[in-house]
Amino acid sequence: TSRFRRAKQEPNVNIPGVSRAQGVASAGELRALAESCKERDSGRRQVDAALPLDILTYEEKTLSAILRICSSGLVKLWSSLTLLGSYKGKKCAFRVIQVSPFLLALSGNSRELVLD
Amino acid sequence: MATLRRLREVPRHLLVCEKSNFGHDKSRHRHLVETHYHNYRVSFLIPECGILSKELKNLVMETGPYYFVKNLPLHELITHEFINTFVKKGSCYALTYHTNIDEDNTVALLPNVVSIDLMDLSLNLDSKKYERVSWSFKEKKPLKFDFLLAWHHTGAEESRMMSYFSSYGIQERQPRVALSTASELQCPVLRSGELGGAPGAACSAPELLDWLGAVFSNAQLNNEPNNFVSTYCCPQPSTVVAKAYLCTITGFIVPEKIRLLLEQLCRYFDEPKLAPWVTLSVQGFADSPVSWRENEHGFRKGGEHLYNFVIFNNQDYWLQMAVGANDDCPP
Repeated sequence: TSRFRRAKQEPNVNIPGVSRAQGVASAGELRALAESCKERDSGRRQVDAALPLDILTYEEKTLSAILRICSSGLVKLWSSLTLLGSYKGKKCAFRVIQVSPFLLALSGNSRELVLD
Repeated sequence: MATLRRLREVPRHLLVCEKSNFGHDKSRHRHLVETHYHNYRVSFLIPECGILSKELKNLVMETGPYYFVKNLPLHELITHEFINTFVKKGSCYALTYHTNIDEDNTVALLPNVVSIDLMDLSLNLDSKKYERVSWSFKEKKPLKFDFLLAWHHTGAEESRMMSYFSSYGIQERQPRVALSTASELQCPVLRSGELGGAPGAACSAPELLDWLGAVFSNAQLNNEPNNFVSTYCCPQPSTVVAKAYLCTITGFIVPEKIRLLLEQLCRYFDEPKLAPWVTLSVQGFADSPVSWRENEHGFRKGGEHLYNFVIFNNQDYWLQMAVGANDDCPP
Protein backbone atom coordinates (compact mmCIF):
# COMPACT_ATOMS: atom_id res chain seq x y z
CA THR A 1 0.00 0.00 0.00
CA SER A 2 1.06 3.55 -0.31
CA ARG A 3 -0.31 6.68 1.23
CA PHE A 4 0.13 10.37 1.04
CA ARG A 5 -1.37 13.24 2.91
CA ARG A 6 -2.42 16.56 1.62
CA ALA A 7 -3.70 19.55 3.47
CA LYS A 8 -6.41 20.90 1.22
CA GLN A 9 -6.23 24.49 0.18
CA GLU A 10 -9.65 25.41 -1.09
CA PRO A 11 -12.50 25.61 1.38
CA ASN A 12 -16.01 25.49 0.01
CA VAL A 13 -18.83 27.38 1.58
CA ASN A 14 -22.47 26.37 1.51
CA ILE A 15 -24.55 29.49 1.82
CA PRO A 16 -28.30 29.92 1.68
CA GLY A 17 -29.29 33.47 0.91
CA VAL A 18 -32.46 34.71 2.50
CA SER A 19 -33.68 37.44 0.24
CA ARG A 20 -37.06 38.71 1.12
CA ALA A 21 -37.36 40.93 -1.90
CA GLN A 22 -36.24 38.40 -4.50
CA GLY A 23 -32.97 40.26 -4.80
CA VAL A 24 -30.79 37.49 -6.07
CA ALA A 25 -32.43 35.70 -8.97
CA SER A 26 -29.58 33.91 -10.65
CA ALA A 27 -26.12 32.50 -10.12
CA GLY A 28 -24.71 35.38 -12.14
CA GLU A 29 -26.29 37.95 -9.85
CA LEU A 30 -25.02 36.08 -6.80
CA ARG A 31 -21.54 36.11 -8.23
CA ALA A 32 -21.71 39.84 -8.93
CA LEU A 33 -23.04 40.44 -5.45
CA ALA A 34 -20.25 38.44 -3.82
CA GLU A 35 -17.67 40.35 -5.81
CA SER A 36 -19.16 43.68 -4.81
CA CYS A 37 -19.12 42.59 -1.15
CA LYS A 38 -15.45 41.83 -1.29
CA GLU A 39 -14.72 45.06 -3.10
CA ARG A 40 -16.66 47.11 -0.61
CA ASP A 41 -15.13 45.46 2.45
CA SER A 42 -11.59 45.68 1.20
CA GLY A 43 -11.92 49.46 1.02
CA ARG A 44 -12.54 49.43 -2.69
CA ARG A 45 -9.09 48.22 -3.55
CA GLN A 46 -9.49 46.32 -6.79
CA VAL A 47 -6.42 44.21 -6.13
CA ASP A 48 -7.73 42.86 -2.84
CA ALA A 49 -11.15 42.19 -4.33
CA ALA A 50 -9.70 40.02 -7.07
CA LEU A 51 -9.93 36.66 -5.30
CA PRO A 52 -11.04 33.83 -7.58
CA LEU A 53 -14.54 32.83 -6.57
CA ASP A 54 -16.76 30.14 -8.09
CA ILE A 55 -20.49 29.69 -7.63
CA LEU A 56 -20.50 25.91 -7.97
CA THR A 57 -24.24 25.52 -7.50
CA TYR A 58 -27.19 27.82 -7.11
CA GLU A 59 -30.69 26.65 -6.32
CA GLU A 60 -33.38 29.27 -6.84
CA LYS A 61 -36.03 27.24 -5.02
CA THR A 62 -34.16 27.20 -1.72
CA LEU A 63 -32.08 30.31 -2.45
CA SER A 64 -28.98 28.38 -1.51
CA ALA A 65 -25.60 28.13 -3.16
CA ILE A 66 -22.23 26.47 -2.86
CA LEU A 67 -19.33 28.88 -3.23
CA ARG A 68 -15.72 27.94 -3.68
CA ILE A 69 -12.83 30.19 -2.71
CA CYS A 70 -9.16 29.70 -1.90
CA SER A 71 -8.41 29.25 1.79
CA SER A 72 -6.74 32.64 2.20
CA GLY A 73 -9.95 34.31 1.01
CA LEU A 74 -12.36 32.41 3.25
CA VAL A 75 -12.48 34.88 6.14
CA LYS A 76 -12.89 37.85 3.82
CA LEU A 77 -15.71 36.24 1.85
CA TRP A 78 -17.49 34.91 4.95
CA SER A 79 -17.36 38.22 6.79
CA SER A 80 -18.37 40.20 3.69
CA LEU A 81 -21.46 38.11 3.09
CA THR A 82 -22.37 38.08 6.78
CA LEU A 83 -22.22 41.85 6.96
CA LEU A 84 -24.30 42.35 3.83
CA GLY A 85 -27.63 43.84 4.84
CA SER A 86 -29.21 44.91 1.59
CA TYR A 87 -29.05 44.29 -2.12
CA LYS A 88 -30.38 46.65 -4.76
CA GLY A 89 -31.99 48.70 -2.03
CA LYS A 90 -33.83 45.76 -0.46
CA LYS A 91 -33.04 44.07 2.84
CA CYS A 92 -31.46 40.66 2.75
CA ALA A 93 -29.38 38.32 4.89
CA PHE A 94 -26.91 35.54 4.19
CA ARG A 95 -26.41 32.61 6.50
CA VAL A 96 -23.44 30.30 6.17
CA ILE A 97 -24.62 26.72 6.71
CA GLN A 98 -21.51 24.65 6.15
CA VAL A 99 -17.86 25.27 5.47
CA SER A 100 -15.50 22.54 4.39
CA PRO A 101 -12.39 22.01 2.32
CA PHE A 102 -14.05 18.85 0.96
CA LEU A 103 -16.82 19.40 -1.53
CA LEU A 104 -18.17 15.92 -0.83
CA ALA A 105 -18.84 16.97 2.76
CA LEU A 106 -21.19 19.68 1.49
CA SER A 107 -23.47 17.20 -0.26
CA GLY A 108 -24.88 16.17 3.11
CA ASN A 109 -25.32 17.88 6.49
CA SER A 110 -26.13 15.72 9.50
CA ARG A 111 -27.26 18.80 11.39
CA GLU A 112 -30.18 18.97 8.98
CA LEU A 113 -31.50 15.51 9.92
CA VAL A 114 -35.06 16.17 11.10
CA LEU A 115 -36.90 13.46 12.98
CA ASP A 116 -39.43 15.38 15.05
CA MET B 1 0.48 42.63 9.37
CA ALA B 2 -0.17 40.02 12.07
CA THR B 3 -3.91 40.70 11.81
CA LEU B 4 -3.83 40.30 8.05
CA ARG B 5 -1.92 37.06 8.43
CA ARG B 6 -4.45 35.76 10.94
CA LEU B 7 -7.31 36.68 8.62
CA ARG B 8 -5.79 34.52 5.91
CA GLU B 9 -5.33 31.46 8.12
CA VAL B 10 -7.66 28.51 7.95
CA PRO B 11 -7.80 25.63 10.41
CA ARG B 12 -5.86 22.61 9.29
CA HIS B 13 -7.57 19.64 7.73
CA LEU B 14 -6.21 16.36 6.48
CA LEU B 15 -6.83 14.12 3.54
CA VAL B 16 -5.12 10.75 3.70
CA CYS B 17 -5.08 8.71 0.48
CA GLU B 18 -3.89 5.14 0.29
CA LYS B 19 -4.07 2.30 -2.17
CA SER B 20 -4.19 -1.43 -1.75
CA ASN B 21 -5.97 -4.52 -3.03
CA PHE B 22 -8.95 -6.32 -1.51
CA GLY B 23 -7.12 -9.62 -1.85
CA HIS B 24 -4.14 -8.56 0.28
CA ASP B 25 -3.96 -10.17 3.70
CA LYS B 26 -3.03 -6.91 5.33
CA SER B 27 -5.69 -4.83 3.64
CA ARG B 28 -7.26 -2.52 6.20
CA HIS B 29 -10.53 -1.91 4.42
CA ARG B 30 -12.69 -4.03 6.66
CA HIS B 31 -11.19 -2.68 9.87
CA LEU B 32 -11.58 0.95 8.77
CA VAL B 33 -15.21 0.48 7.77
CA GLU B 34 -16.09 -1.37 10.99
CA THR B 35 -14.49 1.18 13.31
CA HIS B 36 -16.22 4.23 11.84
CA TYR B 37 -19.29 4.03 14.03
CA HIS B 38 -21.68 6.90 13.44
CA ASN B 39 -22.48 7.18 9.77
CA TYR B 40 -24.96 9.72 8.42
CA ARG B 41 -24.69 9.44 4.67
CA VAL B 42 -23.59 6.61 2.40
CA SER B 43 -23.48 7.07 -1.35
CA PHE B 44 -22.14 5.14 -4.29
CA LEU B 45 -21.64 5.92 -7.96
CA ILE B 46 -21.43 3.34 -10.73
CA PRO B 47 -20.41 4.59 -14.18
CA GLU B 48 -21.89 2.89 -17.24
CA CYS B 49 -24.83 1.61 -15.24
CA GLY B 50 -28.50 2.35 -15.76
CA ILE B 51 -30.17 -0.27 -13.56
CA LEU B 52 -29.18 -1.51 -10.14
CA SER B 53 -28.75 -5.26 -9.63
CA LYS B 54 -31.28 -7.05 -7.42
CA GLU B 55 -28.60 -7.84 -4.81
CA LEU B 56 -27.47 -4.21 -4.54
CA LYS B 57 -31.03 -2.94 -4.49
CA ASN B 58 -31.91 -5.30 -1.62
CA LEU B 59 -28.88 -4.22 0.38
CA VAL B 60 -29.72 -0.56 -0.17
CA MET B 61 -33.28 -1.08 1.03
CA GLU B 62 -32.13 -3.02 4.10
CA THR B 63 -29.66 -0.58 5.62
CA GLY B 64 -32.10 0.15 8.44
CA PRO B 65 -33.89 0.30 10.72
CA TYR B 66 -32.60 2.74 13.26
CA TYR B 67 -34.46 4.17 16.25
CA PHE B 68 -35.27 7.55 17.68
CA VAL B 69 -36.16 8.03 21.32
CA LYS B 70 -36.74 11.33 23.11
CA ASN B 71 -35.86 12.21 26.70
CA LEU B 72 -34.13 8.93 27.43
CA PRO B 73 -32.37 9.04 30.80
CA LEU B 74 -28.70 8.32 30.36
CA HIS B 75 -28.60 5.76 33.17
CA GLU B 76 -30.83 3.49 31.06
CA LEU B 77 -27.84 2.77 28.85
CA ILE B 78 -25.77 1.33 31.70
CA THR B 79 -28.32 -0.91 33.33
CA HIS B 80 -27.60 -4.60 33.72
CA GLU B 81 -30.62 -5.44 31.57
CA PHE B 82 -29.63 -3.13 28.71
CA ILE B 83 -26.08 -4.47 28.65
CA ASN B 84 -27.22 -8.09 28.64
CA THR B 85 -29.98 -7.55 26.11
CA PHE B 86 -28.14 -5.44 23.56
CA VAL B 87 -24.49 -4.71 24.28
CA LYS B 88 -23.48 -8.33 24.83
CA LYS B 89 -25.64 -9.77 22.05
CA GLY B 90 -24.60 -7.64 19.11
CA SER B 91 -23.20 -4.23 18.26
CA CYS B 92 -25.10 -1.36 19.82
CA TYR B 93 -24.65 2.22 18.67
CA ALA B 94 -26.14 5.43 20.05
CA LEU B 95 -25.64 9.13 19.49
CA THR B 96 -27.45 12.09 20.97
CA TYR B 97 -29.70 13.80 18.47
CA HIS B 98 -29.39 17.53 17.72
CA THR B 99 -26.62 18.13 20.18
CA ASN B 100 -23.90 20.25 18.62
CA ILE B 101 -20.57 18.93 19.79
CA ASP B 102 -19.07 22.41 19.90
CA GLU B 103 -21.89 23.77 22.10
CA ASP B 104 -23.77 21.02 23.96
CA ASN B 105 -23.19 17.90 25.99
CA THR B 106 -23.02 14.95 23.67
CA VAL B 107 -23.23 11.25 24.40
CA ALA B 108 -22.21 8.40 22.15
CA LEU B 109 -22.28 4.66 22.64
CA LEU B 110 -19.59 2.68 20.88
CA PRO B 111 -19.97 -1.03 20.28
CA ASN B 112 -16.82 -2.11 22.07
CA VAL B 113 -14.77 -0.55 24.82
CA VAL B 114 -15.99 2.84 25.98
CA SER B 115 -14.55 5.22 28.56
CA ILE B 116 -17.05 3.75 30.96
CA ASP B 117 -16.50 0.16 29.98
CA LEU B 118 -19.95 -1.37 30.06
CA MET B 119 -18.64 -4.92 29.68
CA ASP B 120 -16.35 -4.42 32.63
CA LEU B 121 -19.10 -2.82 34.73
CA SER B 122 -21.56 -5.60 34.04
CA LEU B 123 -19.22 -8.15 35.63
CA ASN B 124 -19.74 -6.64 39.03
CA LEU B 125 -22.91 -4.67 39.46
CA ASP B 126 -22.40 -4.31 43.16
CA SER B 127 -19.03 -2.66 42.70
CA LYS B 128 -18.38 0.83 43.97
CA LYS B 129 -17.48 1.84 40.43
CA TYR B 130 -20.90 0.89 39.09
CA GLU B 131 -22.67 2.59 41.96
CA ARG B 132 -20.70 5.76 41.45
CA VAL B 133 -21.40 5.86 37.71
CA SER B 134 -25.06 5.10 38.21
CA TRP B 135 -25.37 7.73 40.93
CA SER B 136 -23.76 10.41 38.79
CA PHE B 137 -26.27 9.80 36.00
CA LYS B 138 -29.30 9.75 38.29
CA GLU B 139 -28.46 12.14 41.11
CA LYS B 140 -30.62 15.26 41.49
CA LYS B 141 -31.52 15.96 37.86
CA PRO B 142 -31.05 12.83 35.77
CA LEU B 143 -29.31 13.53 32.50
CA LYS B 144 -31.71 12.97 29.63
CA PHE B 145 -31.12 13.22 25.92
CA ASP B 146 -32.83 12.52 22.62
CA PHE B 147 -31.02 9.56 21.13
CA LEU B 148 -30.47 7.89 17.80
CA LEU B 149 -30.00 4.16 18.38
CA ALA B 150 -29.07 1.22 16.23
CA TRP B 151 -28.43 -2.42 17.03
CA HIS B 152 -26.78 -4.93 14.76
CA HIS B 153 -27.22 -8.57 15.71
CA THR B 154 -27.40 -11.96 14.06
CA GLY B 155 -30.51 -13.18 15.83
CA ALA B 156 -34.10 -13.01 14.69
CA GLU B 157 -35.35 -10.65 17.39
CA GLU B 158 -36.29 -7.76 15.16
CA SER B 159 -38.28 -5.51 17.41
CA ARG B 160 -36.47 -6.04 20.70
CA MET B 161 -35.33 -2.41 20.79
CA MET B 162 -38.92 -1.22 20.24
CA SER B 163 -40.35 -3.27 23.08
CA TYR B 164 -37.48 -2.49 25.45
CA PHE B 165 -37.90 1.28 25.22
CA SER B 166 -41.64 1.32 24.54
CA SER B 167 -42.31 3.34 27.71
CA TYR B 168 -40.19 6.15 26.25
CA GLY B 169 -42.12 6.33 23.00
CA ILE B 170 -39.32 4.94 20.84
CA GLN B 171 -39.86 5.27 17.09
CA GLU B 172 -38.49 3.05 14.37
CA ARG B 173 -37.14 4.84 11.30
CA GLN B 174 -35.88 3.73 7.92
CA PRO B 175 -32.97 5.49 6.22
CA ARG B 176 -33.93 7.73 3.32
CA VAL B 177 -32.84 6.40 -0.06
CA ALA B 178 -32.38 8.55 -3.17
CA LEU B 179 -31.70 6.83 -6.48
CA SER B 180 -30.95 8.56 -9.76
CA THR B 181 -29.11 8.21 -13.02
CA ALA B 182 -26.92 10.83 -14.66
CA SER B 183 -26.63 11.04 -18.44
CA GLU B 184 -23.56 12.00 -20.42
CA LEU B 185 -21.46 12.30 -17.29
CA GLN B 186 -17.84 13.42 -17.54
CA CYS B 187 -15.75 11.06 -15.43
CA PRO B 188 -12.04 11.36 -14.61
CA VAL B 189 -9.69 8.76 -16.07
CA LEU B 190 -7.91 6.92 -13.27
CA ARG B 191 -5.11 4.40 -13.01
CA SER B 192 -5.23 2.24 -9.90
CA GLY B 193 -1.45 2.29 -9.51
CA GLU B 194 -1.19 6.08 -9.79
CA LEU B 195 -2.62 7.57 -6.60
CA GLY B 196 -1.07 10.91 -7.41
CA GLY B 197 -2.21 10.85 -11.01
CA ALA B 198 -0.02 10.96 -14.11
CA PRO B 199 0.15 14.15 -16.19
CA GLY B 200 -1.95 13.75 -19.30
CA ALA B 201 -2.77 10.13 -18.49
CA ALA B 202 -4.68 9.88 -15.22
CA CYS B 203 -6.22 12.05 -12.50
CA SER B 204 -5.12 12.08 -8.87
CA ALA B 205 -7.04 10.86 -5.83
CA PRO B 206 -7.76 14.38 -4.49
CA GLU B 207 -9.05 15.43 -7.90
CA LEU B 208 -11.35 12.43 -7.92
CA LEU B 209 -12.67 13.33 -4.46
CA ASP B 210 -13.41 16.90 -5.57
CA TRP B 211 -15.15 15.63 -8.69
CA LEU B 212 -17.28 13.23 -6.65
CA GLY B 213 -18.34 16.12 -4.44
CA ALA B 214 -19.27 18.14 -7.52
CA VAL B 215 -21.36 15.29 -8.93
CA PHE B 216 -23.29 14.70 -5.70
CA SER B 217 -23.81 18.44 -5.27
CA ASN B 218 -25.13 18.73 -8.84
CA ALA B 219 -22.43 21.19 -9.86
CA GLN B 220 -21.67 21.93 -13.49
CA LEU B 221 -18.65 19.96 -14.64
CA ASN B 222 -17.74 21.63 -17.91
CA ASN B 223 -17.31 25.35 -17.30
CA GLU B 224 -14.95 27.35 -19.49
CA PRO B 225 -11.92 28.91 -17.76
CA ASN B 226 -13.31 32.39 -18.43
CA ASN B 227 -16.84 31.64 -17.20
CA PHE B 228 -18.04 34.44 -14.93
CA VAL B 229 -20.06 32.22 -12.58
CA SER B 230 -17.82 29.20 -12.09
CA THR B 231 -14.58 27.91 -13.51
CA TYR B 232 -14.85 24.41 -12.05
CA CYS B 233 -14.58 21.59 -14.54
CA CYS B 234 -14.03 17.85 -14.47
CA PRO B 235 -10.34 17.02 -13.95
CA GLN B 236 -8.50 15.95 -17.08
CA PRO B 237 -8.10 13.52 -18.69
CA SER B 238 -11.75 12.50 -18.64
CA THR B 239 -14.23 10.43 -20.59
CA VAL B 240 -17.95 10.83 -21.04
CA VAL B 241 -20.12 7.91 -19.92
CA ALA B 242 -23.60 7.51 -21.35
CA LYS B 243 -25.16 6.75 -17.97
CA ALA B 244 -24.11 6.57 -14.33
CA TYR B 245 -26.07 5.29 -11.35
CA LEU B 246 -26.09 7.36 -8.17
CA CYS B 247 -27.45 6.23 -4.83
CA THR B 248 -27.55 8.12 -1.53
CA ILE B 249 -28.72 6.69 1.79
CA THR B 250 -29.12 8.98 4.81
CA GLY B 251 -29.96 8.10 8.40
CA PHE B 252 -28.11 6.43 11.27
CA ILE B 253 -26.33 3.66 9.41
CA VAL B 254 -24.32 0.93 11.10
CA PRO B 255 -20.85 -0.06 9.84
CA GLU B 256 -21.90 -3.69 9.35
CA LYS B 257 -24.37 -2.68 6.64
CA ILE B 258 -21.74 -0.50 4.96
CA ARG B 259 -19.35 -3.42 4.93
CA LEU B 260 -21.97 -5.52 3.13
CA LEU B 261 -22.42 -2.76 0.55
CA LEU B 262 -18.67 -2.54 0.04
CA GLU B 263 -18.42 -6.30 -0.47
CA GLN B 264 -21.29 -6.29 -2.95
CA LEU B 265 -19.69 -3.43 -4.91
CA CYS B 266 -16.46 -5.46 -5.05
CA ARG B 267 -18.47 -8.32 -6.53
CA TYR B 268 -19.78 -5.90 -9.20
CA PHE B 269 -16.71 -6.76 -11.25
CA ASP B 270 -17.15 -10.55 -10.98
CA GLU B 271 -18.69 -10.26 -14.43
CA PRO B 272 -17.11 -8.08 -17.11
CA LYS B 273 -18.36 -4.51 -16.93
CA LEU B 274 -17.78 -1.38 -18.97
CA ALA B 275 -17.10 0.62 -15.81
CA PRO B 276 -13.40 0.80 -14.88
CA TRP B 277 -14.21 1.67 -11.24
CA VAL B 278 -17.03 2.43 -8.82
CA THR B 279 -17.02 4.62 -5.70
CA LEU B 280 -18.47 4.25 -2.20
CA SER B 281 -18.46 7.34 0.06
CA VAL B 282 -19.40 7.53 3.72
CA GLN B 283 -19.89 10.66 5.81
CA GLY B 284 -19.93 10.59 9.57
CA PHE B 285 -22.19 12.59 11.83
CA ALA B 286 -20.73 16.07 12.28
CA ASP B 287 -21.53 15.89 16.01
CA SER B 288 -20.10 12.47 16.81
CA PRO B 289 -17.39 12.74 19.48
CA VAL B 290 -15.29 10.13 17.67
CA SER B 291 -14.21 9.54 14.09
CA TRP B 292 -12.52 6.10 13.93
CA ARG B 293 -12.55 3.94 17.07
CA GLU B 294 -11.92 6.38 19.93
CA ASN B 295 -10.09 9.00 17.87
CA GLU B 296 -11.44 12.35 18.92
CA HIS B 297 -13.64 14.23 16.47
CA GLY B 298 -14.54 17.89 16.86
CA PHE B 299 -16.30 20.72 15.10
CA ARG B 300 -14.33 23.85 14.30
CA LYS B 301 -15.69 25.55 11.20
CA GLY B 302 -16.95 22.19 9.96
CA GLY B 303 -17.56 18.72 11.38
CA GLU B 304 -16.46 16.60 8.47
CA HIS B 305 -15.08 13.12 8.87
CA LEU B 306 -15.61 11.05 5.79
CA TYR B 307 -14.05 8.29 3.75
CA ASN B 308 -14.28 7.24 0.14
CA PHE B 309 -13.42 3.99 -1.62
CA VAL B 310 -12.61 3.82 -5.32
CA ILE B 311 -13.02 0.16 -6.27
CA PHE B 312 -11.23 -0.81 -9.47
CA ASN B 313 -12.16 -3.69 -11.74
CA ASN B 314 -8.93 -5.53 -10.83
CA GLN B 315 -9.79 -5.49 -7.09
CA ASP B 316 -7.32 -2.68 -6.42
CA TYR B 317 -8.80 0.10 -4.36
CA TRP B 318 -8.09 3.63 -3.24
CA LEU B 319 -9.17 4.72 0.21
CA GLN B 320 -9.38 8.39 1.09
CA MET B 321 -10.04 9.55 4.65
CA ALA B 322 -10.73 13.19 5.38
CA VAL B 323 -11.00 14.98 8.73
CA GLY B 324 -11.19 18.56 9.94
CA ALA B 325 -9.28 20.75 12.35
CA ASN B 326 -10.36 19.41 15.72
CA ASP B 327 -9.78 15.78 14.78
CA ASP B 328 -7.11 13.24 15.48
CA CYS B 329 -5.33 12.05 12.39
CA PRO B 330 -7.18 9.24 10.55
CA PRO B 331 -5.85 5.77 11.41
